[in-house]
Amino acid sequence: MIETRQLSRIYQRGDGTPVTALRDITLTIADNEFVVVRGASGSGKSSLLNIVGCLDTPTSGQYLLAGEDVSGYSEDQRSRVRSRRIGFVFQSFNLLPRTTAVENVEVPALYSDGGVDRKRALALLERVGLAARANHFVSELSGGEQQRVAIARALMNGPPLLLADEPTGNLDSTVGDSIMELLTELHGEGRTIVLVTHDEHVASYAHREIVIRDGVVASDRPQDQARRRA
Amino acid sequence: MKTGIAVGLALRSLRRNKLRSFFMMLGVIIGIAALTALASVGEAARQETMRQFKRMIGTFDTLTVRPGANSTRGMPALNSVEPTLKFEDAPAVAAVAGVRRVARVQQAFDLDVIYRDRSATPGVFGVSTEWADIRGETIALGENITTEDEASLARVVVLGQDVRDSLFPGEDPLGKVVRIADVPFQVKGVFASRGAGPGGASLDNMVVIPVTTASKRLFNRDYLTNFVVQIDDPEQSDAIAERVRGALRERHRIVAPAPDDFNVGSPRATLQQITEVGTTLGKVMNGVAWIATLIGGVVIMALMLVGVSERRREIGVRRAVGATRGDIRAQFLVEAAVISGVGGLLGIVLGAGGATLAALLQKLPPAYVWGTIGLSLVMSCAVGLVFGLLPAWRASQVDPVEALRG
Repeated sequence: MIETRQLSRIYQRGDGTPVTALRDITLTIADNEFVVVRGASGSGKSSLLNIVGCLDTPTSGQYLLAGEDVSGYSEDQRSRVRSRRIGFVFQSFNLLPRTTAVENVEVPALYSDGGVDRKRALALLERVGLAARANHFVSELSGGEQQRVAIARALMNGPPLLLADEPTGNLDSTVGDSIMELLTELHGEGRTIVLVTHDEHVASYAHREIVIRDGVVASDRPQDQARRRA
Repeated sequence: MKTGIAVGLALRSLRRNKLRSFFMMLGVIIGIAALTALASVGEAARQETMRQFKRMIGTFDTLTVRPGANSTRGMPALNSVEPTLKFEDAPAVAAVAGVRRVARVQQAFDLDVIYRDRSATPGVFGVSTEWADIRGETIALGENITTEDEASLARVVVLGQDVRDSLFPGEDPLGKVVRIADVPFQVKGVFASRGAGPGGASLDNMVVIPVTTASKRLFNRDYLTNFVVQIDDPEQSDAIAERVRGALRERHRIVAPAPDDFNVGSPRATLQQITEVGTTLGKVMNGVAWIATLIGGVVIMALMLVGVSERRREIGVRRAVGATRGDIRAQFLVEAAVISGVGGLLGIVLGAGGATLAALLQKLPPAYVWGTIGLSLVMSCAVGLVFGLLPAWRASQVDPVEALRG
């Protein structure tokens, strides 16, 4: 699903001095893997996630997503790729305020060829256990419910890849667990999941752990069966 | 993204931020309301002027021939016109191709009409019998002047309603004798009321006597204040006027390059002059209304720019789930256009409502200038599109990575 070759990302600071965020990252994530990416803040994991999520482009190196080399893609081409292949789940949910749950779920469909499909959005809300809340405004939902809406939104265009950046960071542990169980189910349905977290416990849901330090892959190993929860 | 979806998003965003949207629209609402109201009130006034004019002259298929080289405004009086238009000119004008008939008129406005101890100073019209017919006068009481009256220089008079009211309140005027400049005339009839003419002046403040009587027994003048010439085809008005001119020049033995000693006018042209030229005040107010609309556009731009920075996260999310820069640009552009378009609609409703109210208060039928209304709507949408360009561009430049951070 994901293949990077000598991926580097160098930012220009305000004063013009270059900062290397990622250096020669080469890694492969197969279809239907459940991977956690870990690293301290400033380690470069956010930069990696941005490139993997096609929100940013590498300064050098290649990035192949589902076999398609997207490293040189333009803004619009990357938008198309995000629309078709990637679902995002954020720490702060990032739902549109003053908008109902089902309207939030529909948003990705606005930018896909399929067009808006209310039935599919409702079915997805049912899938994440929020059928009864479909017409509630976001402000009327709890944090866990909001994250479920966000997950339903991520699934709207049927992407094979889900990128979850600290999905439980704003939730208490029981609610966080239920979100992780939902992600595990979605993995079980065949999706590839890349999770970014600081939380040991949350990380334990993944099958493989990649640690980024100072812009390089510091370790990349399967999760210990004993540590794994799922 | 399809435009329909963008419009849907824009309407949704507008509903969500009602108060803010209202303030965004306010300038456009006021500007467009003023434009619509000005146009409607102006049109209502113009139509009323036309009606008044029509009431005065009765019909537009006429030409007016007056003595003197220069056309004068208003009603000429016999004692102030040049003595160049003669009774004998009438058959020559009547013989011109396209002319149906010619009414001869002598008129004065400074004569007292007295009955017993009551007096009035109406317009005194000495006319040939065609006159009342061309104007479409109807008789409310008694009879009109006849050709026999004209031939016999009869001292008979037909009163306008105003004169009847002031000289004969609650009294039957028929057969009574009034004195016009001390000459006795027997009241033969009363005209039906015609209402107000241009400027709102009454059209009923007049008395009518045979033109022959007027000439020989009242004024002692052998020339006229004007001819009212009825023509067959109003479309041919200019050509017929030119032929009338030729006929009169020939009769008056005027040889080029000497100028005419008479002038031929058409009520249609006069009406056009009266109604076409808007007042300077109206033009200034129209300009102010346009400026208000443009300021409305600037307000939309300013508030939308604020909106873009407040909605960075929304933009980031939309970009993340697949919106292109173009999609974001379209969304904000359409939002601006919808806001100013809705503002324009509200302005039209407000302006047309205000104009209707104003018309009803003045007891006039309201008039709506659909052309201006359509133009206002198009313009208000265009204002949004133009002033939405910068906010839309700014929105499209929001970096999703930055916007989603934290």
